[in-house]
Amino acid sequence: MQKFFSLFIKYNSYLLFIVYCSIAVLFMKFKDDEVLAKLRTGGIEFNAFISDKMMSYSYVVNLKKENDLLIRINADLLAKVLNFENATLDERNRQKILADTTLNASKFKIARVVSRKFSDRDNILLINAGWKNGIKKDMTVLTPEGLVGRVSVVSEHFAKVIPVINTDFKVVVVSDKSKSMGVLSWNGSKEFIAHIEHIPISSSLKLNEQILTSDFSTFSMRGIPVGKVISIKPDNLFYTVEVKLAVDFSSLTQVLIAPLKIEPEKVEMIGNDTPN
Amino acid sequence: MTKNIFYFIGGLFIVVLVQEFGLSHLTLFKVSPDIVTIFIAFISISIGQKTGTSFGFAAGILSGILSGNIGLNMLARTLEGFIAGYFNIPEDSHATAKQKIKRLYGAVATSGFCANAVLETGYNPLGLPLTYRIVALGLLGTLFTLLLAVIITRLFLRQSLAD
Repeated sequence: MQKFFSLFIKYNSYLLFIVYCSIAVLFMKFKDDEVLAKLRTGGIEFNAFISDKMMSYSYVVNLKKENDLLIRINADLLAKVLNFENATLDERNRQKILADTTLNASKFKIARVVSRKFSDRDNILLINAGWKNGIKKDMTVLTPEGLVGRVSVVSEHFAKVIPVINTDFKVVVVSDKSKSMGVLSWNGSKEFIAHIEHIPISSSLKLNEQILTSDFSTFSMRGIPVGKVISIKPDNLFYTVEVKLAVDFSSLTQVLIAPLKIEPEKVEMIGNDTPN
Repeated sequence: MTKNIFYFIGGLFIVVLVQEFGLSHLTLFKVSPDIVTIFIAFISISIGQKTGTSFGFAAGILSGILSGNIGLNMLARTLEGFIAGYFNIPEDSHATAKQKIKRLYGAVATSGFCANAVLETGYNPLGLPLTYRIVALGLLGTLFTLLLAVIITRLFLRQSLAD
Protein backbone atom coordinates (compact mmCIF):
# COMPACT_ATOMS: atom_id res chain seq x y z
CA MET A 1 0.00 0.00 0.00
CA GLN A 2 2.83 2.33 0.91
CA LYS A 3 4.51 1.41 -2.35
CA PHE A 4 1.34 2.38 -4.23
CA PHE A 5 1.16 5.78 -2.53
CA SER A 6 4.84 6.47 -3.10
CA LEU A 7 4.36 5.54 -6.75
CA PHE A 8 1.31 7.82 -6.88
CA ILE A 9 3.23 10.71 -5.36
CA LYS A 10 6.21 10.07 -7.62
CA TYR A 11 4.17 10.05 -10.80
CA ASN A 12 1.38 12.40 -9.84
CA SER A 13 2.18 14.67 -12.81
CA TYR A 14 1.43 11.81 -15.17
CA LEU A 15 -1.72 10.92 -13.27
CA LEU A 16 -2.90 14.51 -13.35
CA PHE A 17 -2.19 14.63 -17.06
CA ILE A 18 -4.10 11.40 -17.61
CA VAL A 19 -7.06 12.65 -15.58
CA TYR A 20 -7.19 15.92 -17.51
CA CYS A 21 -6.84 14.13 -20.83
CA SER A 22 -9.62 11.73 -19.85
CA ILE A 23 -11.90 14.64 -19.02
CA ALA A 24 -11.02 16.24 -22.33
CA VAL A 25 -11.78 13.01 -24.17
CA LEU A 26 -15.08 12.73 -22.33
CA PHE A 27 -15.91 16.27 -23.39
CA MET A 28 -15.10 15.34 -26.96
CA LYS A 29 -17.21 12.18 -26.73
CA PHE A 30 -20.23 13.92 -25.26
CA LYS A 31 -19.87 17.13 -27.21
CA ASP A 32 -23.50 16.96 -28.32
CA ASP A 33 -24.72 16.76 -24.75
CA GLU A 34 -27.28 19.43 -23.83
CA VAL A 35 -25.18 21.01 -21.07
CA LEU A 36 -22.09 21.19 -23.28
CA ALA A 37 -24.15 22.51 -26.16
CA LYS A 38 -25.52 25.26 -23.90
CA LEU A 39 -22.01 26.07 -22.70
CA ARG A 40 -20.83 26.27 -26.30
CA THR A 41 -23.77 28.44 -27.30
CA GLY A 42 -23.12 30.77 -24.38
CA GLY A 43 -19.45 30.99 -25.34
CA ILE A 44 -20.24 31.79 -28.93
CA GLU A 45 -22.76 34.40 -27.84
CA PHE A 46 -20.16 36.03 -25.60
CA ASN A 47 -17.64 35.86 -28.42
CA ALA A 48 -20.10 37.50 -30.79
CA PHE A 49 -20.98 40.18 -28.21
CA ILE A 50 -17.33 41.11 -27.64
CA SER A 51 -16.59 41.02 -31.37
CA ASP A 52 -19.56 43.27 -31.99
CA LYS A 53 -18.35 45.74 -29.35
CA MET A 54 -14.87 45.69 -30.85
CA MET A 55 -16.32 46.27 -34.28
CA SER A 56 -18.31 49.20 -32.90
CA TYR A 57 -15.16 50.63 -31.39
CA SER A 58 -13.21 50.17 -34.58
CA TYR A 59 -16.15 51.72 -36.41
CA VAL A 60 -15.91 54.83 -34.24
CA VAL A 61 -12.15 54.97 -34.72
CA ASN A 62 -12.51 54.59 -38.49
CA LEU A 63 -15.47 56.93 -38.72
CA LYS A 64 -13.80 59.46 -40.97
CA LYS A 65 -12.67 56.79 -43.38
CA GLU A 66 -16.12 55.19 -43.28
CA ASN A 67 -17.69 58.56 -43.84
CA ASP A 68 -15.56 59.24 -46.90
CA LEU A 69 -16.40 55.81 -48.24
CA LEU A 70 -20.10 56.38 -47.64
CA ILE A 71 -20.00 59.74 -49.37
CA ARG A 72 -18.36 58.10 -52.37
CA ILE A 73 -20.93 55.28 -52.38
CA ASN A 74 -23.68 57.83 -51.95
CA ALA A 75 -22.46 59.76 -54.96
CA ASP A 76 -22.38 56.58 -57.03
CA LEU A 77 -25.86 55.62 -55.91
CA LEU A 78 -27.17 59.11 -56.60
CA ALA A 79 -25.78 58.94 -60.12
CA LYS A 80 -27.44 55.55 -60.59
CA VAL A 81 -30.76 56.75 -59.19
CA LEU A 82 -30.68 59.79 -61.46
CA ASN A 83 -29.94 57.60 -64.45
CA PHE A 84 -32.81 55.28 -63.53
CA GLU A 85 -35.17 58.18 -62.97
CA ASN A 86 -34.26 59.72 -66.29
CA ALA A 87 -34.71 56.41 -68.05
CA THR A 88 -38.09 55.90 -66.37
CA LEU A 89 -39.20 59.40 -67.29
CA ASP A 90 -38.08 58.97 -70.88
CA GLU A 91 -39.86 55.66 -71.10
CA ARG A 92 -43.03 57.11 -69.56
CA ASN A 93 -43.00 59.97 -72.07
CA ARG A 94 -42.44 57.53 -74.89
CA GLN A 95 -45.35 55.38 -73.71
CA LYS A 96 -47.52 58.48 -73.42
CA ILE A 97 -46.71 59.44 -76.96
CA LEU A 98 -47.39 55.94 -78.24
CA ALA A 99 -50.62 55.67 -76.26
CA ASP A 100 -52.02 58.93 -77.60
CA THR A 101 -54.81 57.93 -80.01
CA THR A 102 -55.20 61.40 -81.45
CA LEU A 103 -51.89 60.96 -83.19
CA ASN A 104 -51.03 58.19 -85.52
CA ALA A 105 -47.72 57.52 -83.85
CA SER A 106 -46.69 54.81 -86.27
CA LYS A 107 -45.82 57.42 -88.89
CA PHE A 108 -43.94 59.57 -86.42
CA LYS A 109 -40.40 59.24 -85.36
CA ILE A 110 -39.62 59.50 -81.68
CA ALA A 111 -36.62 61.41 -80.42
CA ARG A 112 -35.28 62.64 -77.14
CA VAL A 113 -34.35 66.24 -76.49
CA VAL A 114 -30.65 66.11 -75.69
CA SER A 115 -29.94 69.80 -75.42
CA ARG A 116 -31.78 73.05 -75.18
CA LYS A 117 -30.40 76.52 -75.64
CA PHE A 118 -32.49 79.45 -74.67
CA SER A 119 -30.22 82.46 -74.67
CA ASP A 120 -29.66 85.67 -76.48
CA ARG A 121 -27.29 83.93 -78.85
CA ASP A 122 -29.17 80.76 -79.53
CA ASN A 123 -32.67 79.43 -79.02
CA ILE A 124 -32.86 75.90 -80.28
CA LEU A 125 -33.54 72.33 -79.27
CA LEU A 126 -31.27 69.43 -80.16
CA ILE A 127 -32.86 66.04 -80.65
CA ASN A 128 -31.11 62.69 -80.88
CA ALA A 129 -32.37 61.75 -84.32
CA GLY A 130 -30.64 62.67 -87.58
CA TRP A 131 -30.75 61.82 -91.22
CA LYS A 132 -29.81 58.25 -90.38
CA ASN A 133 -33.14 58.03 -88.60
CA GLY A 134 -35.00 59.54 -91.53
CA ILE A 135 -35.16 63.09 -90.20
CA LYS A 136 -35.27 65.83 -92.85
CA LYS A 137 -35.19 69.60 -92.79
CA ASP A 138 -38.55 71.31 -92.16
CA MET A 139 -40.16 68.30 -90.55
CA THR A 140 -42.68 69.22 -87.85
CA VAL A 141 -41.71 68.50 -84.27
CA LEU A 142 -44.52 67.97 -81.78
CA THR A 143 -45.69 66.26 -78.63
CA PRO A 144 -49.17 64.98 -77.74
CA GLU A 145 -49.68 68.34 -76.01
CA GLY A 146 -48.97 70.33 -79.13
CA LEU A 147 -46.59 71.87 -81.61
CA VAL A 148 -42.94 72.15 -80.60
CA GLY A 149 -41.24 73.51 -83.68
CA ARG A 150 -39.58 72.76 -86.98
CA VAL A 151 -36.42 70.88 -87.89
CA SER A 152 -33.90 73.38 -89.22
CA VAL A 153 -30.59 71.52 -89.51
CA VAL A 154 -30.01 67.78 -89.72
CA SER A 155 -26.80 65.89 -89.05
CA GLU A 156 -26.16 62.15 -89.09
CA HIS A 157 -27.47 61.43 -85.60
CA PHE A 158 -28.90 64.72 -84.40
CA ALA A 159 -31.18 67.47 -85.57
CA LYS A 160 -31.60 71.09 -84.62
CA VAL A 161 -35.14 72.24 -83.99
CA ILE A 162 -36.39 75.83 -84.11
CA PRO A 163 -39.03 75.92 -81.39
CA VAL A 164 -42.24 77.90 -81.51
CA ILE A 165 -40.66 80.24 -78.96
CA ASN A 166 -38.10 81.49 -81.47
CA THR A 167 -38.55 84.79 -83.22
CA ASP A 168 -37.66 83.14 -86.53
CA PHE A 169 -40.52 80.69 -86.20
CA LYS A 170 -43.86 81.36 -87.86
CA VAL A 171 -46.76 79.05 -88.55
CA VAL A 172 -50.21 79.49 -90.04
CA VAL A 173 -52.84 78.63 -87.44
CA VAL A 174 -56.57 78.37 -87.22
CA SER A 175 -58.97 78.50 -84.27
CA ASP A 176 -61.04 75.39 -83.69
CA LYS A 177 -64.52 77.00 -83.33
CA SER A 178 -64.57 80.27 -85.27
CA LYS A 179 -62.03 79.03 -87.83
CA SER A 180 -60.23 82.36 -87.65
CA MET A 181 -56.91 82.18 -89.36
CA GLY A 182 -53.67 83.97 -88.71
CA VAL A 183 -49.91 83.68 -88.42
CA LEU A 184 -48.55 82.64 -85.05
CA SER A 185 -45.22 83.96 -83.92
CA TRP A 186 -43.33 84.65 -80.74
CA ASN A 187 -41.96 88.06 -79.95
CA GLY A 188 -39.45 87.19 -77.27
CA SER A 189 -41.39 88.13 -74.16
CA LYS A 190 -42.86 85.39 -71.97
CA GLU A 191 -41.83 81.82 -72.73
CA PHE A 192 -45.37 80.46 -72.78
CA ILE A 193 -47.12 83.30 -74.66
CA ALA A 194 -47.21 83.64 -78.46
CA HIS A 195 -49.08 86.05 -80.70
CA ILE A 196 -51.34 85.66 -83.70
CA GLU A 197 -51.28 88.30 -86.38
CA HIS A 198 -53.57 89.01 -89.28
CA ILE A 199 -56.85 88.08 -87.66
CA PRO A 200 -59.32 90.67 -88.91
CA ILE A 201 -61.60 92.56 -86.53
CA SER A 202 -64.53 91.07 -88.35
CA SER A 203 -63.55 87.62 -87.08
CA SER A 204 -65.68 86.01 -84.35
CA LEU A 205 -62.70 84.71 -82.40
CA LYS A 206 -63.44 84.15 -78.68
CA LEU A 207 -61.35 83.68 -75.58
CA ASN A 208 -60.28 80.12 -74.68
CA GLU A 209 -60.58 78.92 -78.25
CA GLN A 210 -58.12 76.24 -79.20
CA ILE A 211 -55.57 77.21 -81.80
CA LEU A 212 -54.46 74.49 -84.20
CA THR A 213 -52.08 74.38 -87.12
CA SER A 214 -53.68 75.02 -90.46
CA ASP A 215 -53.44 73.12 -93.69
CA PHE A 216 -52.20 76.37 -95.23
CA SER A 217 -48.89 75.86 -93.47
CA THR A 218 -46.08 74.96 -95.82
CA PHE A 219 -44.39 72.54 -93.43
CA SER A 220 -46.82 71.52 -90.70
CA MET A 221 -49.67 69.07 -90.93
CA ARG A 222 -53.05 70.46 -89.93
CA GLY A 223 -54.77 69.99 -86.59
CA ILE A 224 -51.74 70.05 -84.27
CA PRO A 225 -52.70 71.92 -81.09
CA VAL A 226 -50.69 75.07 -80.58
CA GLY A 227 -52.37 76.73 -77.63
CA LYS A 228 -55.38 78.52 -76.22
CA VAL A 229 -56.51 82.13 -76.75
CA ILE A 230 -56.08 84.09 -73.54
CA SER A 231 -56.34 87.67 -74.76
CA ILE A 232 -57.91 89.46 -77.72
CA LYS A 233 -57.18 93.15 -78.25
CA PRO A 234 -58.63 94.99 -81.24
CA ASP A 235 -56.35 97.19 -83.33
CA ASN A 236 -57.23 99.28 -86.40
CA LEU A 237 -57.81 96.44 -88.81
CA PHE A 238 -56.71 93.33 -86.96
CA TYR A 239 -56.88 91.76 -83.53
CA THR A 240 -53.79 91.36 -81.43
CA VAL A 241 -54.28 87.89 -80.02
CA GLU A 242 -52.28 86.30 -77.26
CA VAL A 243 -52.07 82.54 -77.11
CA LYS A 244 -50.95 80.43 -74.19
CA LEU A 245 -48.82 77.75 -75.75
CA ALA A 246 -49.83 74.12 -75.19
CA VAL A 247 -46.31 72.83 -74.82
CA ASP A 248 -44.27 73.45 -71.73
CA PHE A 249 -40.84 74.00 -73.23
CA SER A 250 -39.14 73.97 -69.88
CA SER A 251 -39.93 70.29 -69.29
CA LEU A 252 -39.61 68.94 -72.78
CA THR A 253 -37.88 65.56 -72.90
CA GLN A 254 -39.41 63.43 -75.64
CA VAL A 255 -40.73 64.62 -78.99
CA LEU A 256 -42.34 63.26 -82.13
CA ILE A 257 -41.23 64.18 -85.60
CA ALA A 258 -43.98 64.18 -88.17
CA PRO A 259 -43.33 63.08 -91.76
CA LEU A 260 -42.39 65.83 -94.18
CA LYS A 261 -45.20 67.53 -96.00
CA ILE A 262 -43.97 67.58 -99.56
CA GLU A 263 -45.35 70.71 -101.21
CA PRO A 264 -42.37 72.38 -102.88
CA GLU A 265 -44.59 73.92 -105.54
CA LYS A 266 -46.63 75.66 -102.87
CA VAL A 267 -43.49 77.15 -101.31
CA GLU A 268 -42.33 78.21 -104.75
CA MET A 269 -45.66 79.85 -105.52
CA ILE A 270 -45.67 81.73 -102.22
CA GLY A 271 -42.09 82.73 -102.86
CA ASN A 272 -41.03 82.83 -99.27
CA ASP A 273 -37.74 81.39 -98.08
CA THR A 274 -38.94 80.73 -94.57
CA PRO A 275 -41.77 78.23 -94.42
CA ASN A 276 -44.68 79.07 -92.14
CA MET B 1 3.44 32.00 -4.38
CA THR B 2 -0.31 31.83 -3.66
CA LYS B 3 -0.54 35.52 -4.50
CA ASN B 4 1.32 34.82 -7.76
CA ILE B 5 -1.08 32.02 -8.62
CA PHE B 6 -3.99 34.45 -8.41
CA TYR B 7 -2.16 36.86 -10.67
CA PHE B 8 -1.54 34.03 -13.08
CA ILE B 9 -5.21 33.01 -13.04
CA GLY B 10 -6.18 36.60 -13.84
CA GLY B 11 -3.46 36.68 -16.48
CA LEU B 12 -4.82 33.48 -17.98
CA PHE B 13 -8.24 35.06 -18.53
CA ILE B 14 -6.69 38.12 -20.15
CA VAL B 15 -4.36 36.06 -22.33
CA VAL B 16 -7.20 33.83 -23.57
CA LEU B 17 -9.30 36.87 -24.41
CA VAL B 18 -6.37 38.58 -26.16
CA GLN B 19 -5.79 35.42 -28.18
CA GLU B 20 -9.43 34.94 -29.08
CA PHE B 21 -10.32 38.52 -29.94
CA GLY B 22 -6.98 39.83 -31.12
CA LEU B 23 -4.24 37.51 -32.23
CA SER B 24 -6.46 34.86 -33.79
CA HIS B 25 -7.42 37.50 -36.38
CA LEU B 26 -3.78 38.08 -37.35
CA THR B 27 -3.60 35.16 -39.75
CA LEU B 28 -0.77 34.73 -42.17
CA PHE B 29 -0.80 31.69 -44.49
CA LYS B 30 -3.90 30.44 -42.61
CA VAL B 31 -2.16 30.37 -39.20
CA SER B 32 -1.84 32.86 -36.37
CA PRO B 33 0.54 33.18 -33.39
CA ASP B 34 -0.64 31.79 -30.05
CA ILE B 35 -0.03 33.81 -26.91
CA VAL B 36 -1.75 31.18 -24.71
CA THR B 37 1.03 28.72 -25.57
CA ILE B 38 3.64 31.24 -24.41
CA PHE B 39 1.74 31.87 -21.19
CA ILE B 40 1.34 28.17 -20.39
CA ALA B 41 4.99 27.52 -21.24
CA PHE B 42 6.02 30.36 -18.96
CA ILE B 43 3.91 28.95 -16.08
CA SER B 44 5.28 25.46 -16.65
CA ILE B 45 8.93 26.47 -16.70
CA SER B 46 8.67 28.90 -13.81
CA ILE B 47 6.27 27.06 -11.46
CA GLY B 48 6.21 23.43 -12.46
CA GLN B 49 4.78 20.72 -14.62
CA LYS B 50 1.65 20.03 -12.55
CA THR B 51 0.69 23.70 -12.35
CA GLY B 52 1.46 24.10 -16.04
CA THR B 53 -0.73 21.13 -16.89
CA SER B 54 -3.57 22.48 -14.74
CA PHE B 55 -3.26 25.93 -16.28
CA GLY B 56 -3.24 24.29 -19.70
CA PHE B 57 -6.41 22.43 -18.81
CA ALA B 58 -8.08 25.65 -17.60
CA ALA B 59 -6.91 27.55 -20.66
CA GLY B 60 -8.35 24.75 -22.79
CA ILE B 61 -11.73 25.12 -21.10
CA LEU B 62 -11.78 28.89 -21.63
CA SER B 63 -10.59 28.92 -25.20
CA GLY B 64 -12.82 25.91 -25.93
CA ILE B 65 -15.89 27.73 -24.66
CA LEU B 66 -15.03 30.79 -26.75
CA SER B 67 -14.16 28.86 -29.88
CA GLY B 68 -16.89 26.24 -29.56
CA ASN B 69 -14.60 23.19 -29.46
CA ILE B 70 -14.14 22.50 -25.76
CA GLY B 71 -12.83 18.92 -25.60
CA LEU B 72 -10.18 19.31 -28.26
CA ASN B 73 -8.88 22.57 -26.82
CA MET B 74 -8.71 21.05 -23.36
CA LEU B 75 -6.69 18.13 -24.67
CA ALA B 76 -4.32 20.30 -26.69
CA ARG B 77 -3.71 22.82 -23.92
CA THR B 78 -3.28 20.14 -21.25
CA LEU B 79 -0.68 18.47 -23.46
CA GLU B 80 0.96 21.84 -23.96
CA GLY B 81 1.29 22.43 -20.21
CA PHE B 82 2.51 18.92 -19.60
CA ILE B 83 5.20 19.00 -22.30
CA ALA B 84 6.35 22.48 -21.33
CA GLY B 85 6.76 21.14 -17.80
CA TYR B 86 9.82 19.17 -18.97
CA PHE B 87 11.59 22.50 -19.49
CA ASN B 88 10.89 23.53 -15.89
CA ILE B 89 13.59 25.53 -14.14
CA PRO B 90 13.67 24.55 -10.45
CA GLU B 91 13.52 27.40 -7.94
CA ASP B 92 16.97 26.56 -6.56
CA SER B 93 18.48 26.48 -10.03
CA HIS B 94 21.49 28.66 -10.81
CA ALA B 95 20.52 29.01 -14.46
CA THR B 96 21.40 32.26 -16.15
CA ALA B 97 18.81 34.50 -17.76
CA LYS B 98 20.01 33.34 -21.16
CA GLN B 99 19.50 29.71 -20.22
CA LYS B 100 16.07 30.43 -18.82
CA ILE B 101 15.06 32.27 -22.01
CA LYS B 102 16.38 29.37 -24.09
CA ARG B 103 14.30 26.99 -22.01
CA LEU B 104 11.24 29.15 -22.50
CA TYR B 105 11.76 29.15 -26.27
CA GLY B 106 12.28 25.38 -26.20
CA ALA B 107 9.11 24.92 -24.19
CA VAL B 108 7.15 27.21 -26.50
CA ALA B 109 8.39 25.47 -29.64
CA THR B 110 7.91 21.90 -28.42
CA SER B 111 4.62 22.30 -26.60
CA GLY B 112 3.30 24.65 -29.27
CA PHE B 113 4.01 22.18 -32.05
CA CYS B 114 2.41 19.30 -30.11
CA ALA B 115 -0.69 21.34 -29.35
CA ASN B 116 -0.88 22.48 -32.98
CA ALA B 117 -0.59 18.86 -34.11
CA VAL B 118 -3.46 17.84 -31.83
CA LEU B 119 -5.64 20.74 -32.93
CA GLU B 120 -4.84 20.20 -36.61
CA THR B 121 -5.61 16.49 -36.29
CA GLY B 122 -8.90 16.97 -34.51
CA TYR B 123 -10.29 19.89 -36.45
CA ASN B 124 -10.12 20.55 -40.16
CA PRO B 125 -12.38 23.46 -41.12
CA LEU B 126 -10.47 24.17 -44.34
CA GLY B 127 -10.54 20.56 -45.58
CA LEU B 128 -6.74 20.36 -45.98
CA PRO B 129 -4.72 17.12 -46.04
CA LEU B 130 -3.63 15.90 -42.59
CA THR B 131 0.09 15.82 -43.40
CA TYR B 132 -0.01 19.37 -44.73
CA ARG B 133 -1.92 20.53 -41.66
CA ILE B 134 0.46 18.96 -39.19
CA VAL B 135 3.75 19.59 -40.97
CA ALA B 136 3.23 22.85 -42.78
CA LEU B 137 0.59 24.62 -40.71
CA GLY B 138 1.73 23.14 -37.41
CA LEU B 139 5.34 24.20 -37.99
CA LEU B 140 4.40 27.60 -39.34
CA GLY B 141 2.11 28.24 -36.38
CA THR B 142 4.91 27.23 -34.03
CA LEU B 143 7.29 29.59 -35.81
CA PHE B 144 4.88 32.52 -35.49
CA THR B 145 4.35 31.71 -31.80
CA LEU B 146 8.09 31.54 -31.29
CA LEU B 147 8.54 34.94 -32.90
CA LEU B 148 5.87 36.33 -30.62
CA ALA B 149 7.63 34.70 -27.66
CA VAL B 150 10.85 36.49 -28.62
CA ILE B 151 9.04 39.83 -28.74
CA ILE B 152 7.20 39.25 -25.44
CA THR B 153 10.36 38.04 -23.70
CA ARG B 154 12.28 41.11 -24.78
CA LEU B 155 9.48 43.47 -23.81
CA PHE B 156 7.94 41.97 -20.65
CA LEU B 157 9.66 38.82 -19.34
CA ARG B 158 13.25 40.01 -19.02
CA GLN B 159 12.87 40.71 -15.31
CA SER B 160 10.97 37.49 -14.59
CA LEU B 161 13.64 35.42 -16.29
CA ALA B 162 16.59 37.31 -14.79
CA ASP B 163 19.54 35.47 -13.19
